[in-house]
Amino acid sequence: MKNGAVANQSEGTIRRSFSISTKSSPLFPFFIFVGFFLIWPIISLIIRSFKGNENEWTFANYLPLLHGSYFHAFVVSIKLASITALIGAILGSFFVYVIVNSAGPKFTSVLDSICAVFANSGGVPLAFMFIAAFGTEGLFTKFLKSVGWDIYAGNFTLFSFTGVVLVYSFFQIPLMILVFKPALQGLRKEWSEASINLGANSITYWRHVVIPILTPSFLSAFFLLFAGGFSAYATARAMTVGTVPLVPIIIGTLVDGNVISNQTNLGDALAVGMIVVAGVAMSGYLIAQRRANRWRAA
Amino acid sequence: MRKSIISGVVAAIAVAVLPVTMATPSNAYTNFSKCSDLKACGGMDALVKAAQKEGKLNVITLPRDWANYGEAMDLFSKAFGIKITDDNPDGSSAYEIQTIKSAPDSKVPDAVDVGITYGVDNANLFAKYKVATWADIPAQYKDVSGRWYGDYNGQIALAYDTSIAKAPKSFADLKDPAFKNMVAIGGDPTGAQEALMSVFAANLASGGTTKNVQAGIDYFKALKASGNFVPVLANGQNLAAGAYKVSFSWDFNGPGSIASAAKIGKTIKYVIPTDAVIKGTPYIMAIPFNAPHPAAARLWTEFLFSQNKGMLTKDLGSTAGLTGSKIFASIMGGQNIWISGAAHPITEPAMRAKGLAIDPPAGFETPAGAKLVTPTPDEQTAAKALLKDQWPAISSK
Repeated sequence: MKNGAVANQSEGTIRRSFSISTKSSPLFPFFIFVGFFLIWPIISLIIRSFKGNENEWTFANYLPLLHGSYFHAFVVSIKLASITALIGAILGSFFVYVIVNSAGPKFTSVLDSICAVFANSGGVPLAFMFIAAFGTEGLFTKFLKSVGWDIYAGNFTLFSFTGVVLVYSFFQIPLMILVFKPALQGLRKEWSEASINLGANSITYWRHVVIPILTPSFLSAFFLLFAGGFSAYATARAMTVGTVPLVPIIIGTLVDGNVISNQTNLGDALAVGMIVVAGVAMSGYLIAQRRANRWRAA
Repeated sequence: MRKSIISGVVAAIAVAVLPVTMATPSNAYTNFSKCSDLKACGGMDALVKAAQKEGKLNVITLPRDWANYGEAMDLFSKAFGIKITDDNPDGSSAYEIQTIKSAPDSKVPDAVDVGITYGVDNANLFAKYKVATWADIPAQYKDVSGRWYGDYNGQIALAYDTSIAKAPKSFADLKDPAFKNMVAIGGDPTGAQEALMSVFAANLASGGTTKNVQAGIDYFKALKASGNFVPVLANGQNLAAGAYKVSFSWDFNGPGSIASAAKIGKTIKYVIPTDAVIKGTPYIMAIPFNAPHPAAARLWTEFLFSQNKGMLTKDLGSTAGLTGSKIFASIMGGQNIWISGAAHPITEPAMRAKGLAIDPPAGFETPAGAKLVTPTPDEQTAAKALLKDQWPAISSK
């Protein structure tokens, strides 16, 4: 009896592990891909960040991160990512609310496609788009001037921190719409009906039902936006030539410049610093996501 | 008297014949990865023959309109029948070094053209090879054993769109409110050599010395505060969009930029500023120790350092059946091709003395009596340290 049970159990285990490996075998290309392009680079990056130019082990690469201009760059990068993520999250959720409540299904799917395109725009083309539109001789600048508003009359310039915030919002808001819409669509009519039947007015319904349900989704989306804004590189580089110090740009000059040689290990250390910040953001994302999923499963 | 003439002639014949006779038997076992000058490689005929046998040359990060490299590559290819592959034309010096270290054997560059610090810091990656014009390269810009040597340098010029009301002539001019929202730089000075030298030039124009670039940084700060400086990357695209009108640029990017601007209907002019002539430290040429086409690499380097005036691609006919040294002697050397691209080849002073240099393109002449200043590598390091902290601060509100 006892023996039989053990035998059964181990047979079950064997069968299960066998079935897992056959089921996941189509994923092997994916694992190889992730291994090559994510895991291996991260490991070698971390190793290199602890090496000096003579291949010796050292902590020296990390010391400059703790003060001075490199530390400042982290502050500016985090500030930029937070501001653009916040703008994206707030405006994006407002748009989602409008879309979910007033747009028909056809219009919504058109909007989805548009948002997907905008959310994935980035790099030098995005910077150029804004330069061509809002630069000193941009199309919109000229148009606004023709109707009497010279946006360059005051202190405004596209090529500044404010300008970069403006440009980043262009992909942050659509991204927020894409990731936050399912959450708002998931609000069930029954809940609002039930609340009203139980005597709630719309304010209490929002305060006690909608906001608590949506907060985890909102936060997870915010962290996702933060991670995107934190790591963006080419757009800001093309627009500021280093006058706005951002960590990815500094890494770029250290590992891929024509001026500073043999400081790639410092760049590696900065990159590891970025991984840590992004890791914190992504943990926030995952925790919030898990809470948000509770409602979806229900 | 007579005897000495005869012996002179005999000696001359001997000198001319010797390399050939020596080359022929030794050719079979010349190790082109190791031979450290033309003689050791068996002479020009043998070198060309071996290079043609290899048939290929890998170069790296050479934009066609940079110092007229396009012409140099076309001419070399056509004259010797060697196919050139230019990897990542817009890449950086750091990329070149990285490729030597990590590319698969056949993709390693045969020759690199990098910022001087990259040569000094990575000398162990390069083979020893002294070009025939070695003696004309100034001592401070070459490695004694021939691992790397300066090839050409640039001077900082003002490039401007001729549609603007006032043509700038100096750094001081650009402070004028007429240039509001117009002035741009070619990159981040902590990452781009051209931008770093622009700061040195602004510094010099503002009364600073190469020892301390603070005055140059302050110049940009003031220009930013007055709204004249637009921190957009100075490149063809942004010029086309009208994002800037005046930029600081290497003079050797001039002919290419002028031509590509003309294609989009813009007229650009280059002028060497009257209040500061900064001549950059030269870029350097080096042959990686693991060059996959070692003979072609050495021929390419000899070609780039040749001071010949000869033919350009458009004038060159078929070279079939000609000996290597004949072909080499008939085409323009790289040093003059660089002059034609408004660059300043490293042996230019020696060439001028010997009457071998051609004239620079019109409009790119250095003003007569201008004092050329070149910051030393140490001064550049000091400037970078200062810029690292101060450049990001120039735009803070």
